[in-house]
Formats: sequence, structure tokens, C-alpha cells
Amino acid sequence: MAAQQDNGLTVQPARTAAQPGAATPGWPTSADQRIWTALGAVFIYLRSMAVFLVIWHLGSRWVGNAILLPSPIDSAEALVELFADGEIFDNVTASLSRLGVSFGLAIVLGVSLGFAMGMNRTIYAMVDPMVELLRPISGIAWIPLGMFILGVGEALPTAIMFYGAFFPIVINTVVGVQAVNPGLVQAARVLGVSQRAIVRHVIWPAALPNILVGARLGAGAGWMAMVAAELIGAPSGLGFAIEWYRELLMTPKVLAFVFIIGLLGYLLDRLLRGLQRRLTPWAQAGGGLT
Amino acid sequence: METLEKMTPKICLGGITKEYIAPRTGQRTLAIADVSLDVFQGEFLCIVGPSGCGKSTILNMIAGLARPSRGELVMDGKPIRDPGAERGVVFQDYALFPWKTVRENIEFGPRYRTAGPLSASERDRIVRHYIDLVSLTGAENKYPHELSGGMRQRCAFARALANEPEVLLMDEPFAALDAQTRLILQEELLRIWGEELPRAARKTVVFITHGIDEAVYLADRVAVMSNNPGHIKTIMTVDLPRPRRESLRATAEFQKLADAIWQLIRHEAYEATIDRH
Amino acid sequence: MSLHLRLRPFILPLLLLALWQIAAMAYAQTSRMPVPGDVLTMGWTLVSSGELPLALLQSLKRVLLGFACAASLALVVGTAMAAFEPIGRNLDPIVESFRPIAPIALLPLAILWFGTGTPAAAFIVGYAAFFPMLVNTIHGVRSIDQGVIRAARTLGVSRFTILRTVVLPGALPNLFVGARLALGVAWTSIIAAELAVGAKAGGGGSGGIGQMMFVFYAYSVDLSGIIVCMIGVGLVALIIDRGVRALEFWMLPWKR
Repeated sequence: MAAQQDNGLTVQPARTAAQPGAATPGWPTSADQRIWTALGAVFIYLRSMAVFLVIWHLGSRWVGNAILLPSPIDSAEALVELFADGEIFDNVTASLSRLGVSFGLAIVLGVSLGFAMGMNRTIYAMVDPMVELLRPISGIAWIPLGMFILGVGEALPTAIMFYGAFFPIVINTVVGVQAVNPGLVQAARVLGVSQRAIVRHVIWPAALPNILVGARLGAGAGWMAMVAAELIGAPSGLGFAIEWYRELLMTPKVLAFVFIIGLLGYLLDRLLRGLQRRLTPWAQAGGGLT
Repeated sequence: METLEKMTPKICLGGITKEYIAPRTGQRTLAIADVSLDVFQGEFLCIVGPSGCGKSTILNMIAGLARPSRGELVMDGKPIRDPGAERGVVFQDYALFPWKTVRENIEFGPRYRTAGPLSASERDRIVRHYIDLVSLTGAENKYPHELSGGMRQRCAFARALANEPEVLLMDEPFAALDAQTRLILQEELLRIWGEELPRAARKTVVFITHGIDEAVYLADRVAVMSNNPGHIKTIMTVDLPRPRRESLRATAEFQKLADAIWQLIRHEAYEATIDRH
Repeated sequence: MSLHLRLRPFILPLLLLALWQIAAMAYAQTSRMPVPGDVLTMGWTLVSSGELPLALLQSLKRVLLGFACAASLALVVGTAMAAFEPIGRNLDPIVESFRPIAPIALLPLAILWFGTGTPAAAFIVGYAAFFPMLVNTIHGVRSIDQGVIRAARTLGVSRFTILRTVVLPGALPNLFVGARLALGVAWTSIIAAELAVGAKAGGGGSGGIGQMMFVFYAYSVDLSGIIVCMIGVGLVALIIDRGVRALEFWMLPWKR
């Protein structure tokens, strides 16, 4: 259990700490200053990316083989083309709808099971060994068996992503529920509050930061597992598309899809981080759980 | 003070003993042995003693958060088994809900308690009253992490009061504050408690502290506890006039009382600084 | 603890095992569903013939190779990014742009560049392991108590010695967190890489446990073989995790 707890809680601040752009505003800053800081960050971003693109371009000139390493310009053209003929939307929609179904399911079932395990010791003692047995077997290792049972198609990537997202969510929910400060539960009890109100107004908000960390970890792991599943055993989706264009040796389009996969992964994480900020504003106070 | 003995006690502890049994070894530790204590309506009772003498355990038992191994524990003739809204607690670390604002924290009891929750308008009135009473006006919508230590303490106090308990239990509520803030809040505590009111209209307070000065300044009676196992050594009556002001601390009577208590516990307090490591 | 409480952890796994056995026997005629007994026999065959340990070892070797490259690079880059503000500021956009790309998505490129053998697999593993290691190195170095560094400087110690004796040990707990995460992702992606290579390159060349699973899936259609491989994958994941933890326990006596 402790493994995932570390994962959940330690990776987190690392990510925020890795952004010098979002440096701590130790002094009260005026709106003007903030705009300048933001512009500065954008400038640094553009400058770094420009340097990277130039190196890439020179590298592709040096390799001189558009199949091995196409230039950034070719790749950008491929991206535009994919947008223009709408092909990209088909694959994005396929992947995102799978994501929606499996991630939604993982959250509902994972959080429910996590609460049951966190609040009831008998359930915990019975289910925890199962979780610990299955957890080390990654979602990706289920792909061959999954192909056999579910066949190549819609169900496989959905199931694999569900599996990948499920465990981080369960484990972080359990940790969150078990780590609720008993002092707060006592404080609610001495105010003569009902058990239901304690679950709703004390345990749920106390566990929420951990649940959201679990959701973010689960989304990351699940997204990766789903791309792998699409690459191996699905007739559509982003993973399928990169593999398809590799076989056709159309590397610029491969790169365009890799870019889209990265972008969607990034947006998903941003979305969940935004959710964290909105849903748990009290956890922003430097408690380590942002 | 002579009148106290003739009244029926509000809370009655009769021969309370608390034993802990270590889960693995089954070894028994006696935390509290045979504590008997009556707390009367409207009195301010302080319990002082060296660290680890079981002061907090006694408070938790009165709150209903822990149960005695032996002995009887009664409030208004009814045994105490579980926590209840009639006994409010102010915890040492405040235990404010981090996800609720000052207002929501204070509103928590009146809103969600099982015994007679209040309607929105009544809650609003009560919350406003107690926010004003503890001088948190203007900070209603802040989260606990945005408050200073003193303001958190005020908020915890208001949360306990807003539930309108008959008895207020306070577990070293000022321990985490700096010395100046502590002095200010002590005086304010007496004001809010209602020094000027007749005894019947005051709340009954049980206040745990390890500050002797604090105990003498606040209390009508001070129960002095002792270690190994925890028991009550003496109960001292503090016959200083009310309302009390800062200047009281400089008087000879005050010093005499404080010194008497210190002499009772200094040996053990000294032992505790060596033994504990 | 009473006997009843001690048995509790085994109830659910045994129940599921029994259900599996019953279901398999009920549908024995119509499906290829393996029974627990088959899996045991298959497991024994694969272990005693040395096939399974060999495949796992092959995959593990690639993971360690990729991890070693990624970790050394991440240590250097991460320390530089954390210790020198300009480097951190300028590299951060690049790191943040590449981090969200799922390692598997790069597999087609890796195959194009390196073929279907060990280098491609090691590339994917290295890519997967690099980011957790980097992010935790940066965090570890940044989170060192400035007071301790100031104390070391007032004691007249050189900057390099501070890096070696204060910064590195201070960041070590985070480095271990990074290593555990990195090895975890690396082990996951090697399976994916080998599976995909097997699926696309028609079985040849790559070896490793993922390949073995794919062969069981595509050629021998042997479900008990696949399940044995999955158990092997899980065991190695567990061993890696516990191994890093043991090392951490041994190397960080002040954190115990």
C-alpha cells in the first residue's frame, strides 16, 4: 500500500516545483507585473522551443532521409493535412470516447471500493490482498489475454485503460480515507453530528485531495495503457493511427499523431489539476497536496 | 465558595480508572487510577499536572470520546457514554475543518447535529453572534490556513460555543500560542464566559492546562494531578475576586497560590524532563 | 489474532480461484478457457525448461540498460536544472512538452530508427524512465533545506564538497522515489514494446517476456501460457519494487 501512497504524494509537489515560471510571488505584485511575468514565461517557452525546432531541422537535414527523420516543416504540414481532411478528429474522438467511458467507470468503482476498504477493516482485510496481487500486473500485460477474451475492437482499449486507471484510484482513496485526521472526526462527533454528516462533510473532503491525486495518476497510467492497447489491438484510435502510418512509412504523419497524443495527455493532466484547484482550495496552502 | 458543596454536581466522576492494553503484548498500563471529582454548575475548573498524567484522558472521557475502564461518569444524573452536543470541546490543535471557511466551521454543529439542527435563518443569527463575540468579524469567509494562530483559536472557540453546550471542555487551548496572544485570549475567555453573570447563567468549564499561572488566573478551583498512575493530588480553591484583570497576577495572593501549586508538582515535572527520553 | 482473522486475507482469492475452476469446468467443451490446474502444469513446464526465467531475464536486462542510461542523464540534467536557475528555466519548456507523450507512442519511431531488437526496446524504456527520474531529482535538489547549505558554507566547505556531502544525500530520498517510479514505468513499457514488436514484426527478433506472451497469443493460442507469463510479469514488478525499497532502507538509515 505504501508504494502507491509515495507515488501519489511525492510525484506531485515535484511537478509543481519543476516550473520555475510559476515562481513564488513573495511580494505583492500588481496586475502589470503579473502580466510581464507571464509574458516572460511565454517568451522563454517560445525561445526554448525555437532552439529545439532549429536543432531538429538541422538534424533532419543532416540525416537527409525523410522517412527516418522528417523535418519539422514536413511534420507540421502533415498535421495540417490531417486536420484539413478531418482524419485526426475521427481518431481523437475514438480515443477520447474510450477514455471517457473507462475513466468514468474507474473513478466511480475505484472511489466506492476505496471508501469501503478505507472505512471497514473487514472489507480491507479481505480485498487488500487481491489488490496487491493484481496491482503489479500492469494493464499492458493484460493485452494478449484481453485480445483473446474481447477480441480486437472497441472493448479492448477501454478495458485496458479501466484496469490501468483503477488501481491508483483505489489505493489513493484508501490511503486518503485512512489518513483522515482522527482529531477532525472527533471534533465533528463532539458537536453531536450524525455518522452520515461525518462521512459527507469530514471524511469525503479530507480524502478528496488524495482521491484527485489518484485520479491524475490513474489517468496518466490509463492513457499510456490505452495507447498501447490501440497500437496492438484496435481498429481505430490514436495508437492505431501511429502504427498504421509507420507501416506506410509516412513518418511525418506518425510524428503528427505523436504530437496529438502528447497534447491530449497534457490537456488531460491540466484539466485534472484545474479540478484539484477548484475542488480542494484549502489544500493549496503548501500542504504538499496541490 | 461554601455554597458549592451543598449543590448537586453538574458532572460527577466517581472512582474513574483507565487502563490501556497493548494490542500485541497484552500488557496493561494504568493511565488513571481512581479519580473522583465533582464539577458544579457554572464553575470554572482547571486541571493542571505534569505531562503524561492523564489530564487529556479525563477530558476525553467527559467528552465521551473515551470510556473509563472502571468507575462511573455522570452528567445531570445520566451516565456519559458518547459525545453529545451538550458537551462542547475546544481541542489543543483546534481541529478546524480545513475545507470549511470560518463561517462554515462555526455553523457545523448547529447545521448537522442530530439533536435539533437549526434552520438557515436561526443559524445565520447564531453564527453572526458568535463571530462578533470572538471578534472574527471580517474573516468569515477565510479558510483556516489563512488565519493566524490566535484567530484559529477564536474560531475553534466560537465553533464550540455556537452549538450552545451546557459544558465547555477545553484541552490546553492556548498551548500553541505565543505568550502575548495567550494573555489576551485568557482575559477574553473570562469575558465571554461571563464573569459578571450570576453563576447559574454561566457555562460550566473544564479547562486542561500545564500553565500554573493560567490555571490560577482563570479558575474557581484547580485540580492538581500527579503521575504514575494519574490521580488527583489536591483540589485548591482560588478565592480571588471576579471580574479578574491583568493586574491580579502581580498580587501577593496570586503568587502565593501559584507557588503552592508549583511546589506540589515541581518534583514530578523535574523527573519528567529526565525520564522521558 | 484469532484463526478467523488470520484466514480473512485468503478468503477472496481462494473464492475467485474456485469460481474460475468451476466456470472453466462448466464451459470445458465450448471454450479454451484454462483451469487453474492447467496453469500450474504450464508454469512448471516453462520454469523447468528455463524458457520463462530466460525471457524475463532478457526483458529485465533491457530495463536495467535503459534505466541506467536514463537515470545517469536525468541525474546530471536534473541537478543542473535545479541548481542553476537559467538552465532550469530554459530547459523546463522542453521537458514539460515531452513528458506527456506516452512512451509507447514513440515505439513506431523507435522501430524505424533502431529496428526490432534490444536498442529499440532500451530506447522506449529509457524514455519512460527518464522523466520520473528527472522530475524527482529536480524536486529533491530544490527541496534541500537552505539552512543546512548555509551551515555547511559557514563551516568553510567548498561548493563541490557541499554538492557531494549535503545536496546528494539530501536529495537521495527523492531519487529513490524517482527510481522506483521509473523502474515501474520502465517494466510496464518494455512489456508493451515487446508485445507490439511481436505483433507487428511477426514474432521474430526481439525476445523477452512480451514477445513470449505474443507467441502464446498468436501462434500456439495457449491461454495458460499467457497467464503464466502475466504472473511472471507481476512477480518481477514486485521484486523490482521491493528491491528498490530494501536498498532505500539500507542506504537511508536516517529515514528509518
